[in-house]
Amino acid sequence: MLKIAVMIKQVPDSQDISIDPVTKTLNRSMARNVVNPPDVNATEAAVQLKDRYGGEITVITMGPPMADSALLQLMGMGADNGVLVTDRVFAGADTWPTAFTLASVADYLGGFDVILCGEETTDSSTGHVGPGIAEFMGYEQATYVHKVEYENGFFVVVRDIEGAEETIKIGKPAVITITLNANDPRNPTLKRKIAAYKKGVKLVTNKELQLDPACIGLKGSPTIVKDMKTVPDPVKNPSKPGIEELDKIVSVLIERGIVK
Amino acid sequence: MIKNRCATPPANVEIYKDLWIWLEQNDGELSRISLEMAGIGRKLADKYNEKLVGILLADENGERMAQEAIEYGVDRVIFVKNQVYRHYRTRPYADAIASLIVEKKPNYFVIGATHNGRDLASRIAVRVNTGITADCTEIDIDPSKKLLEARRPAFGGAILANILCSRHRPQMASARPGIFKPVDRVVGRKGEIERVENSIKEEDVVTKLLQIVTREEVDITTADVVVCGGMGLGKKEGFKILEDLANELGGIVAASRPTVDAGWITRDRQVGQTGKTVHPKLYIAVGVSGAIQHIAGMKSSEYIISINKDAAAPIVKYSDVALIGDAYEIVPRFIESIRKGKQALREGRASSAKK
Ligand SMILES: Cc1cc2nc3c(=O)[nH]c(=O)nc-3n(C[C@H](O)[C@H](O)[C@H](O)COP(=O)(O)OP(=O)(O)OC[C@H]3O[C@@H](n4cnc5c(N)ncnc54)[C@H](O)[C@@H]3O)c2cc1C
Ligand SMILES: Nc1ncnc2c1ncn2[C@@H]1O[C@H](COP(=O)(O)O)[C@@H](O)[C@H]1O
Repeated sequence: MLKIAVMIKQVPDSQDISIDPVTKTLNRSMARNVVNPPDVNATEAAVQLKDRYGGEITVITMGPPMADSALLQLMGMGADNGVLVTDRVFAGADTWPTAFTLASVADYLGGFDVILCGEETTDSSTGHVGPGIAEFMGYEQATYVHKVEYENGFFVVVRDIEGAEETIKIGKPAVITITLNANDPRNPTLKRKIAAYKKGVKLVTNKELQLDPACIGLKGSPTIVKDMKTVPDPVKNPSKPGIEELDKIVSVLIERGIVK
Repeated sequence: MIKNRCATPPANVEIYKDLWIWLEQNDGELSRISLEMAGIGRKLADKYNEKLVGILLADENGERMAQEAIEYGVDRVIFVKNQVYRHYRTRPYADAIASLIVEKKPNYFVIGATHNGRDLASRIAVRVNTGITADCTEIDIDPSKKLLEARRPAFGGAILANILCSRHRPQMASARPGIFKPVDRVVGRKGEIERVENSIKEEDVVTKLLQIVTREEVDITTADVVVCGGMGLGKKEGFKILEDLANELGGIVAASRPTVDAGWITRDRQVGQTGKTVHPKLYIAVGVSGAIQHIAGMKSSEYIISINKDAAAPIVKYSDVALIGDAYEIVPRFIESIRKGKQALREGRASSAKK
C-alpha cells in the first residue's frame, strides 16, 4: 500500500498564448486551461504504481477555485482524491512559498510515501517546486525521472541527466518528478469521471493550514519581479515557393554563403 | 515542524560577499557547464570587482579539476573532498553546500541549470531561506546596491522578466546551459584552493547509484546549418533523409522533443525550451509544427526554412521560406537542387579560373 500524492497545476495552454500586437502585453485571455502536460504523466505514473503495488492517490493543486476541473479530470484517470488549495493569501507566490504551502498541505494530509510532480510547468518552467517540497518535508528526491519501480521500501528510478541516463535507488518517503512523455497517459473514463463529480474535491484554505500570512504568497516570496518586457515575436512574412522553385532557394543559399 | 518556516531575510546583508559558482563534475571531469559558469562569473567579477569562488565536491580527482577551474578564470576553489561526492546525489551535495553557505556567507551564488543543477539549486535555496531565479539567460549586477539582476524568459521567451532577490542572501540564480561562454583557458593561471574536511561516509547516504549509461554527445549549438526533424516525419527512418540533407549542407541533424521522447533520435539533439538553444546561419524545420517551446530554442536563427504539409502550422510564420507540402517529396528534390547548385558553383569557378 503506497500513499501517493501528485502535485498538479492548471496552466494556460501554451499554444494559445500570444503577444497582443497593440498593447505588446501577453495575451492569455484566449487561452484554454489545461493540466500542465508533465503533471498528467506524473498522474499516469501514480496510477501505474497503484496498479502494481496497491495504494491510494491524492491529486493536489494550489490555485484559483476553477482549478477543481483539473483535479476532476485526473480523478477520472484513476486518482482517488482531489485537494484544492485555495486562498487569497497564497496568491503571487514564487517557488519558496509555493513549495512551502504545498509541503504544508502534504503534512496536513498526514504525509505520503511518495509525492509525484511534473518536471516543470509550461508557465513558470523552473522545475524548482518539486525539490522545494522535498526539502520542506525532509524527503529524498529524484528529478527528471521516466521510470519508477518500488522494491523493498525503496524506489528505483531512471533519470535523465546531460549525456547520461542513471538508475538510482532512493529511500522512502520521496519526491519524484516525472518527465513529459515518460509514459502514455490513459484517458479518463466516463464512469470514473461521474464518480469524481459525485465525490467532489476537498477544499483546503489557510484556516486549516494556519500559516503565517507574512511567510506565504507574494509577501513570503524572496524574489521580486523588477520589470518585465515582452519580446516581440520574430514573426515574418515568408515566401511560399512551389517545389519547382527549389533552385531559386538554393541560389539564395549560395548568395548567403551557406551552399558553397 | 514545517508550519513555523519562514524565509525571513537576514538582518545584515552587508557582511555577505563574493560571487560563488557551482563546479559541476561528472565522474572526475568538470562539466562543460562549469566552464560556462566560470566564464560569466569571471566577467561579472572583473566588472564589479568581486572575488569568483568555485564550489567543488569531488573525490581525489578534485585537485586536478580545481586547478582546471582556476585556469578557466576562478579565483578560489573551495574543494570538499570525499569518495561520496564522486557522483552527484542530492542530499549529500545539498547538505555540504548549504553548510558552506551558512558558514561563509556568499553574496551571490550562480548554478548552471542542468538537470542536476536545478535539482540541487532549488533544494539549497529552500534550505537557506533565499530566493532563486531559475534558468536565466542574462545576468548582471546593479553596482550601487550590489543586487543580482537575473533575466529569464517565460512563456517560451515571449516575455523576459528581470528578477531581484534584494533582501535575502545569497542571491541565487540558475543559468541556462549553452548561453554563457567560457573564457579562454590560461594554462598555469594561479589561484587559491581551500580544502575543506568532510567526514561523511557512504553508509550515511541513502541514495545509491545503481547504473549509469553514458551517451556520446553531439553539439548542435555550434553548427552553421541545423536540419531539424519533427513528428511530421512519421517514423524514425525519416531522419535518414534529413541526414542526407544535412550532409549536403555541411550541417547537423536536430530534433523536436516528441521525436526524442519516442526514441527516434538521441536527446542531445533536442532543440527548445527543455533542449538546446541554437542560432545557426540556416535552420531547416521539417515536419515541425513550431510549438512555443520549440520556437524558444531556434527563433534567433539567421535564416529559417520550414517544410510542412500544413500552411497554417505556427512554424510557417517564423520562417523566411515556407515550403508547403510533403517532406518525403520535397526533401529529396531539395537535395537534388543543392547538388545542382554546387555543381554549377564548381563549374563557374573552374571556368573563371581558366580565364
Ligand atoms: C514542459 C514542456 C517542455 C517542452 N519542451 C520542448 C522542447 O524543448 N522542444 C520541443 O521541440 N518541444 C517541446 N515541448 C513540446 C511542444 O509543446 C510540442 O509538443 C512539440 O514541439 C511538437 O513537436 P513536433 O512539431 O515535432 O510535432 P507536431 O506538433 O505533432 O507537429 C508535426 C508537424 O508535422 C507536419 N507534418 C505531418 N506530416 C508531414 C509530412 N509528411 N510532411 C511535412 N510535414 C508534415 C504537421 O502539419 C505538423 O505541423 C515541450 C512541452 C512541454 C509541455
Ligand atoms: N501551484 C501548484 N500546485 C500544485 N503543484 C504545483 C504548483 N506549482 C508547481 N507544482 C508542481 O511542481 C512542478 C514543477 O513546477 P515549476 O517549479 O513551477 O516548474 C509542476 O510540474 C507541479 O507538479
